[in-house]
Amino acid sequence: MSHDHGIVVPAPGAGFLPHTVAHHFDSPTQEFQSAKLGFWLFLATEILLFGGLFAAYFFFHQVYPETFRLGGQQLSWKLGALNTTVLLISSWTMAMGVRSAQTSQKRKLLIYCGLTLLGAAIFMVVKIIEYKAKFDHGFLPVFGGTDYDQATHQLSWFKDYHNVMVGVQNPSLFFSIYFTMTAIHGVHVLVGAGLIIWIMVGAAKGRFHANYFLPVDLVGLYWHLVDLIWIFLFPLLYLVP
Amino acid sequence: MISYLLQDPAKPVHAMAEGVDQYGQLTKLASTFSHVDNLFYFTYVVCIFFFVLITGVLFYSVVKYRRKTFDQPAVSNRTHNTPLEVVWTVVPLIIVMVMFAWGWKGSLDMTVVPADARQYKALAKQWNWTFFYPNDAVPSSGELWLEVNKPAAFTLESSDVLHAFYMPSMRVKRDVVPGRFQTVWFQPTTEGEFHLFCAEYCGKDHSQMYAKVHVVSADVYRTRPWDTWDDKNPKKGGENLYKSLCASCHTINGTKLTGPTWKDLWGKQEQVVEAGQIKTVTVDEAYVIESIRKPDQKKVVGFEKANMTAFDDKVIDEKRVKGIIEYMKSLSNAGSEKK
Amino acid sequence: MTTNAPAMGVATGSHDTVKKNYLEISKGFWSWAGTLDHKRIGIMYLIGVSLALLAGGVFAMLVRLHLWKSTGVLFDNATYNQIFTLHGVFMVFIFIIPAIPGSLGNMVLPLMLGAKDVALPRLNLLSFYLWLSGTCLALYAIVAGGFDTGWTFYAPYSIYTNQAVVSVGLGIFLLGFSSIFTGLNFIVTTHKLRAPGLTWFRMPLFVWAIYATAILQVLATPVLGITVLLVAFERLYHIGIFDPRLGGDPVLFEHFFWFYSHPAVYIMVLPAFGIISDLISVHSRKPLFGYKLIAFSSIAIAMISFLVWGHHMFTSGQSSYAMFAFSFLTFFVGIPTAIKEFSWVATVWKGSIALNSPMLYTLSFLIIFAIGGLTGVILGALNVDIHLHDTYFVVAHFHYVMMGSIALAFFAGVHHWWPKMFGVMYSEFYAKIACALIFVGFNATFIPQFIMGSRGMPRRYATYVPEFEGFHQASTIGALVIGTGVALMVGNLVLSIFTGKKAMQNEWGGVTLEWLSPTPPPLENFYEQPIVTTEVYDYTTLDLRTTQTPCS
Ligand code: HEA
Ligand code: HEA
Ligand code: HEC
Ligand code: CUA
Ligand SMILES: [Cu+2]
Repeated sequence: MSHDHGIVVPAPGAGFLPHTVAHHFDSPTQEFQSAKLGFWLFLATEILLFGGLFAAYFFFHQVYPETFRLGGQQLSWKLGALNTTVLLISSWTMAMGVRSAQTSQKRKLLIYCGLTLLGAAIFMVVKIIEYKAKFDHGFLPVFGGTDYDQATHQLSWFKDYHNVMVGVQNPSLFFSIYFTMTAIHGVHVLVGAGLIIWIMVGAAKGRFHANYFLPVDLVGLYWHLVDLIWIFLFPLLYLVP
Repeated sequence: MISYLLQDPAKPVHAMAEGVDQYGQLTKLASTFSHVDNLFYFTYVVCIFFFVLITGVLFYSVVKYRRKTFDQPAVSNRTHNTPLEVVWTVVPLIIVMVMFAWGWKGSLDMTVVPADARQYKALAKQWNWTFFYPNDAVPSSGELWLEVNKPAAFTLESSDVLHAFYMPSMRVKRDVVPGRFQTVWFQPTTEGEFHLFCAEYCGKDHSQMYAKVHVVSADVYRTRPWDTWDDKNPKKGGENLYKSLCASCHTINGTKLTGPTWKDLWGKQEQVVEAGQIKTVTVDEAYVIESIRKPDQKKVVGFEKANMTAFDDKVIDEKRVKGIIEYMKSLSNAGSEKK
Repeated sequence: MTTNAPAMGVATGSHDTVKKNYLEISKGFWSWAGTLDHKRIGIMYLIGVSLALLAGGVFAMLVRLHLWKSTGVLFDNATYNQIFTLHGVFMVFIFIIPAIPGSLGNMVLPLMLGAKDVALPRLNLLSFYLWLSGTCLALYAIVAGGFDTGWTFYAPYSIYTNQAVVSVGLGIFLLGFSSIFTGLNFIVTTHKLRAPGLTWFRMPLFVWAIYATAILQVLATPVLGITVLLVAFERLYHIGIFDPRLGGDPVLFEHFFWFYSHPAVYIMVLPAFGIISDLISVHSRKPLFGYKLIAFSSIAIAMISFLVWGHHMFTSGQSSYAMFAFSFLTFFVGIPTAIKEFSWVATVWKGSIALNSPMLYTLSFLIIFAIGGLTGVILGALNVDIHLHDTYFVVAHFHYVMMGSIALAFFAGVHHWWPKMFGVMYSEFYAKIACALIFVGFNATFIPQFIMGSRGMPRRYATYVPEFEGFHQASTIGALVIGTGVALMVGNLVLSIFTGKKAMQNEWGGVTLEWLSPTPPPLENFYEQPIVTTEVYDYTTLDLRTTQTPCS
């Protein structure tokens, strides 16, 4: 039960802290690999979670093609493209952040994380602008209370207001799916931003360095997943229709 | 209780024709879908065979190889026997493939509706069934009449949640899905009365969503036994019509559903909207007739957004409208006073 | 399985005085509530799921008593609907899915692998608390107006009903993530923390089974998560995906639900298979017949089970092609299971069979599961299922597999590992009587249900046509007998903690690694890292001095 193997000595450099390997692991490598495998499995569950939403998307796209065509045209592909670019760049800054951690560059790690955070912020602001535009035009995700008469009433009002969806079956469905998917994705962006802040706090204390950078690595993976999902959402919602 | 388990399978359990088949397992078959029973009993025998085999070997082993002293080792430590393993993989595989093909073929029979089938419509609603007969204005609710040996096909519609059309003796079941049309068909072969259950959970009174199905001879069928109209008692006839056609939207106890209640309706001063103008009308014969024929003409205040089905004289002819009015009068103090 | 450690043995046991076991090492509420020790988490799960079983069992008793008369005796229809829904939700999501992995898996899997803990202990504790929060939400729903949709919460009824669907839905969401994290943890543990020399094909079959289960938990559960989220959104925001009034499709909901819930039945049953495999070997003192085939068939079942969900929807009006494929694959999934069943029977053959209480439960499992599985095969036949779907035949089928098989395997495992967990032995006499009561009561409850089901008695009925009254009454009497049996079993086990005699280190004469650790194990399970040098289930290496297994 000796724990002499259990301390990871910090890489040379100013102000780094040593890391203690959890008691039940034999080596830092074992700890690293376990956490990484676990995290990949978690990412798989995330993909399957969105998989359900994608299944619903394809199903309704099949059933109401016209609704999806017209609905998609109401979205601004320019804003979508802007967000795609922002996320792609932030993915790159995150990768560079991980790289900085691996090479014990504390300052760079902080800067790159900060940039990624900025990307997340821009993304969310653009998203809010988009949502707001939808709300203003009556593309509400909420169609009435429990009263279904009221719900259909709102729908007809919404149809008249725009004239674009006239005669289309169930115009609300496209927007339901749009809002559900982007909202759940948005929650992921927020969670990712929170994790990055947590990394930055740790980085400032000097917890991450060439000999121990596991959390940075994992948060990096998470951020790439958030990005990847958006890469699928963007063409499906904004372009395919 | 025991008497139920031991009952003579040939004897009907109730006044129903259902009863139990000769093996006492299934309800007595009353349609042409005998392949269901055949496959059921085939699989049943297979199950019993494997069950007896497994239990037999277990019992024999437990008796024979029981550990007598605490250090007694196993008689054999063998962990493989390839021929045996192949046998117990391949034999079940063959058996289940037979079951699969048999069941698949049977299910195809059940989906292909014969050309000479009569087309009925069944409307499911929390928690009752209404049946519409081909080329016939009079529907029936809670009861259904079919002709023996004549294929019957049903279009199933739901006006709220999921339900399922289930007749055990006919071996048919089909979910009734709101927003979709489903069909089911069968050919009854025995005269008698049969159960029709709702087999998909649909809320509070799911277990009471029941209809009695009468399978009758061609002669009886021709008399249209579901049409209970009796010229001598128009009020009774009106009540029946109310139950099958109007009860889904109108109550007689004061609560409002899709439409206003009929309690105390007759003779009432009603606020209605006609061509954008609010007016007050008296509920009299003319108004009721208009409400039935052209419900959108005058909309009751508070129900402007709700729509009522229009019924023309093919569905409800003049004398039946009179019947409904008689019935409506009986629900209202004003109505009975006026008389 | 021998090792280079001093011995399976008395010798190791004597350290007990020097080193404290995991139960004694620290005291107080927080030493449990905040523990990262897999064994303590296992015990907390054991207590939690047992209470859930008792709660679910009380609901079951209410269901059975109500159905004594065809008009129903205890409740009005609406209340009855809530009671059977609560029964289903408690039994499925709160009891049986977490039961074996959460309690016995946590307890035994790291021991079997020769590991000091699971790979991610903090996540493990999080799983437990997610389970607890999910359970609390479900309990909250009872006070917040109840829940009456059936455990399948089919749309659109679940969208329209004015009950606490959202809170139960979120509860199920949390329970789902609890299950995902448990599975994830076990996969990592199995990959990364095996003792030196413990190759994949030297792992006990319980580990294989938990591993296959974990794959299903990780891959299927997220779909349940998104499904309940969508239902919640549907109720809160009327997004219309499942609501036909807004253009949605209720059948899509059924697909979503069963895409998870069919694999879920194997999430429930695979760990039970694992327990049975291990126990049957120990109590027959014989290596398992067809070890590799059993291991692979678990994986095969896990894979195929993703492709058969449509067999719950044969009457929903899917296309003939879908019917064809789903029915075919359903039959196919019976084959790996048949291989297992036959291999178990072949293991008993020519063994050295000790009829201890765990073995009695195991044998009951083999008999009951044969019926439960074979009736599943009957349901796989397309035309027959059209008649039997949503009748008591289905109810009887899944109780044969869930209560009769899985719960009994769980009881078997609890009796088997009880001496390892607590270091005490219960009364074998009462344990056997309880087992007999449960076995007899169980069959008395559910055989009548098979009969009335095939005669057309629909399920979820608060009232029914009078001709089925006799069967329902037989069933109710049976249920009371099960209740007595379960009460006796629980009483016997709980009492043993206070009055039971001290257990031996290797109570039953097992040769897997968990019997090598002291009883009860210390914090890090082994005094020295065990190293495995022999094949699995090799009883020639059994040191008979460590065990005095009674022979009957
Ligand atoms: C853990 C639980 C569990 C398990 C293990 C199973 C196992 C199986 N189940 Fe079951 N099932 C449920 C839980 C389970 N089921 C539940 C909860 C429901 C209802 C849900 C609801 O609607 O509320 C259900 C419903 C259900 C249906 C839908 C019925 C309906 O609603 O219409 C079907 C149809 O195909 C089915 C089939 C099967 C099959 C083929 C197996 C197979 O895996 C069985 C394999 C086992 C064997 C085959 C036995 C052992 C082998 C032998 C003895 C050797 C000989 C074998 C052969 C000759 C084949 N099950
Ligand atoms: C793990 C799963 C599991 C288990 C173990 C059980 C166990 C039992 N179930 Fe359950 N059941 C389900 C899962 C399960 N069930 C599901 C999923 C449904 C479908 C729900 C739906 O349709 O949505 C269902 C539905 C269901 C029905 C059908 C209801 C209906 O369709 O209307 C019935 C009816 O008899 C029933 C009975 C029982 C009984 C008698 C037991 C017994 O085996 C219980 C034994 C346990 C105990 C009794 C508890 C311990 C004992 C005590 C606490 C002592 C005191 C008790 C007394 C003696 C009074 N169950
Ligand atoms: C689909 C639902 C529906 C059905 C079925 C239905 N009604 Fe109505 N009914 C309504 C609604 C909604 C209103 C109120 C709006 C309006 O006046 O059009 C209404 C109004 C009425 C009124 C006027 C009530 C008043 O308060 O002034 C009468 C009379 C009436 N219905 C008769 C019938 C009869 C007779 C039948 C059956 C043969 C029937 N309805 C079937 C929905 C229905
Ligand atoms: Cu209608 Cu159940
Ligand atoms: Cu299934």
